[in-house]
Amino acid sequence: MEEEEVVRRIRERFGEKLLEAEVIGRRRVSVRVPPEMYKTVVEYVAKDLGLEFLGCVSGIDRGDRLEVVAHIGYSLCVLVKTSIPRDNPEIDSITDILPAASLYEREAHDLLGIKFRGHPNLKRIFLPEDWPEGVYPLRKDYSPEHPKPLRRGGSG
Amino acid sequence: MSFEIPIGPQHPIHVEPIMLRLKVEGELIVDVDVDVSYLHRGIEKGLEVRPYIQGLYLAERICGICNCAHSLCYCLNVEQLLGKEAPPRARYLRLIVEELSRMHSHLLWLGHYFHTLGFETLFMYFWRDRERVMDMLELITGNRVTTAYNTIGGVRRDLPQEAEAKLRRALDYLEERMKYYEKVVDGEPTILARTQGVGVLKSSEAISLGTVGPHLRASGIRHDVRLDDPYSGHDEVPFNVVTHDGCDCYARVKVRLGEVVESINMIRYALDHLPSGEYRLKIPPLFKAPEGESLARVEAPRGELVHYSISNGGTNPYRYKVRTPTLANIFSVVYMLKSRGDREVYIADVPPILGGIDPCICCTARVLVTDEARRKRRILTLTDLRKYSQGGRRVRG
Repeated sequence: MEEEEVVRRIRERFGEKLLEAEVIGRRRVSVRVPPEMYKTVVEYVAKDLGLEFLGCVSGIDRGDRLEVVAHIGYSLCVLVKTSIPRDNPEIDSITDILPAASLYEREAHDLLGIKFRGHPNLKRIFLPEDWPEGVYPLRKDYSPEHPKPLRRGGSG
Repeated sequence: MSFEIPIGPQHPIHVEPIMLRLKVEGELIVDVDVDVSYLHRGIEKGLEVRPYIQGLYLAERICGICNCAHSLCYCLNVEQLLGKEAPPRARYLRLIVEELSRMHSHLLWLGHYFHTLGFETLFMYFWRDRERVMDMLELITGNRVTTAYNTIGGVRRDLPQEAEAKLRRALDYLEERMKYYEKVVDGEPTILARTQGVGVLKSSEAISLGTVGPHLRASGIRHDVRLDDPYSGHDEVPFNVVTHDGCDCYARVKVRLGEVVESINMIRYALDHLPSGEYRLKIPPLFKAPEGESLARVEAPRGELVHYSISNGGTNPYRYKVRTPTLANIFSVVYMLKSRGDREVYIADVPPILGGIDPCICCTARVLVTDEARRKRRILTLTDLRKYSQGGRRVRG
């Protein structure tokens, strides 16, 4: 299946409701949807278009909003993007369609604080147990600490 | 009655820290909980606060073994953002070094795998032969493990003159050895008993759990990024995608053995058809990438590696996302370790099943390894090194 063909079929199926659908490179298609349609579009791309493989789920902090991107497909890769408000970052989990999303959603939850509705086990994955609640290292307002380097012979 | 057995984070069967909490009934594993958080280094955040050229070094250090795949993926991404493409000779040289590092990774894995099964002799043999590959990597790139070979716009140095003949000799030697190993693996009852029918993952399960790489191909799926999304001369160099229908640990061994042979043939072809010309583009060390996004995928030795970068027109990436093959595969390990239906999993099956995916926890959690080897007459301060890395004032070491 060609890139244009995929864009055409997605446009045909969802029409006006899509915010954007375009080819962004060789074997790369980008689709932007409103958050309430995110799960439906992911299901359509994975099942009806037969791309079935979830590459990963990325979370991005865009400043005023957070963005979730699902990368679907083995050869041709469709990026399904959606924006959610920063003060209430909630989105439907896609684990029941693509079980592989489980760990990727936990990662986005852990590092960006995105809540995935319907995720079976949304707990910490990478951050330590004593990491403070509500601090998300991949958000732009978080800046990492810079501990003083240890120097030989110095007082530290 | 069931009780819990923790395996890890430090345990002889683990090369790196990972915690498996097994719930067992007798010898049978009924539930598993996995914790991969012990090595998180925050590299994604680190990449956001560095200029592109410095990020290259950090990306290369995401994983020691697959450093070549990570640096290649990073370079492809930045080149895509800049709208440039590496010259043909660079693409072939990248392919040669990538395949060498695949051979080195697979031989390391095979040795280590048989070590976990208790077959020490084979472990010694594989690691001895792996040294030949390491020598070749050193000859071509100047480094044994962290090759620092790929750079934005090409590769850092051309193929040395004496390298080709030596490389061909090493490939001939390894080809013979692989035939021998193939025979050993097929004929050794201990290996067959420990691997056949162990850790079964059917094709449909492998797809829905999102497994990648040799692990997926051992479940009979013909997917390889080099074939489906060629990125560095793979559309010109012919190769076979090795698959196996066994869906068990034995199939995973066979696939990796086959892939080493394929790599040997690919390197031979690339040497025969090596294009002449430039081996890198001239790109200034500090630059601004145009606004946009790019997604690059590379078939790392352990499977599909995904790097996704977003640029807002600055000197640093706005967001850099890395999805490593082990993170994709670890989910299927949890699945395979659970007994379900007539599929029984015993405690003794844990090493072959976990080992079967070639786990790399530092990849998964993205840690940072520091190195203090660079000390000669004076110690370079961080500021010096930073200037040096950006191509500013030359600093004498």
